[in-house]
Amino acid sequence: MSTGHKHDGDHHDHDHEHPAAPMVEEITDYEVLEIAVRELAIEHGLFTAEDHRRFTEWAESIGPINGSRLVAKAWKDPAFKALVLEDGVKACKEGLGLDWAEPTGFGTPSDYTNFIVLEDTPTLHHVIVCTLCSCYPRPILGMSPEWYRTTNYRRRLVRWPREVLAEFGLILPPEVEIRVEDSNQKCRFMVLPVQPKGTENWTEEQLAAIVTRDCMIGVALPRPGRTADVHPIHKARRPVQASAQHGSAAE
Amino acid sequence: MSVTSDGEPGRIGLLEAIRRQGKEWDVLAPRYGVTNPNPPWKTSLIGTNEGLAAGGALPALERRKAEDELGDAVYRDVPAPERELLALVHTMLSRGLLAEGELAARMRAVRSRLEEA
Repeated sequence: MSTGHKHDGDHHDHDHEHPAAPMVEEITDYEVLEIAVRELAIEHGLFTAEDHRRFTEWAESIGPINGSRLVAKAWKDPAFKALVLEDGVKACKEGLGLDWAEPTGFGTPSDYTNFIVLEDTPTLHHVIVCTLCSCYPRPILGMSPEWYRTTNYRRRLVRWPREVLAEFGLILPPEVEIRVEDSNQKCRFMVLPVQPKGTENWTEEQLAAIVTRDCMIGVALPRPGRTADVHPIHKARRPVQASAQHGSAAE
Repeated sequence: MSVTSDGEPGRIGLLEAIRRQGKEWDVLAPRYGVTNPNPPWKTSLIGTNEGLAAGGALPALERRKAEDELGDAVYRDVPAPERELLALVHTMLSRGLLAEGELAARMRAVRSRLEEA
């Protein structure tokens, strides 16, 4: 083993010189259950294997990047911003080439094609939730985060929005009104945040990088220097002096 | 949804047996050094949910409502991806979209096939 890739003409050795990624090396009944249910559903004619493949492919190909691009483009182009606020679905198609009707031609059964973008101002902040279940603008933001689907978020945000946002580290001054938009069976929402100061001359690409998923849900604000991958790390204020304690114990 | 005589959602033997094994992804993944937050079958489950809704067998809102109710009443201690799967199957069994016996038999056949591979 471990002889590396060889590409010498028609010989192709599949050995890898890097170690294989770790895998869960046992078959659980959850895995078995998921397969069994799917197979029986197909056999009973509830859907087809092709339908299933297409929906699964779609679910694995979506993410928040289109939302970031939509916001960045709206910040740079006032005419596009007007379209975004007037008709979100049309703006997605014309500005990004994103068609809410995919993958079936009429959207997915779980994502209704009525999409409204909520514009923040310096004195008005929006945040989205689905108190009923987990409605989320998946075609443009991808799959919802785990916490979005928790009862903790869904039930408490509508009652105590300022406090719940503070739990995400977003502390808004009292003069900023918070409006919670409850997604429903027919509507999907997304937040258009205020463009941060100091980014006026940035490119769309630079701007899109700071518009993370959470900014478009409304639990964070875009800030220069903070992207999905990069943000300043807060040092623990009172770390346990582990090395000192171990040192004294060993003495 | 199946309910007991006191109006509470009932428990299903086949699904209870799976749950009692404690083989949820958040237990197994760290044991094997795997960092993926979700099990590999998670997006396939989404495909099943969407397929059921698209064909009209189980509308998305009804599935989600049942998932909420079962998540509170029966599967409260099960983490998210497994809870979603158990709640879906529970709902399908309760509605007669599947029968418990045929599901158990198919699970045995699937396991046998996977273990041969």
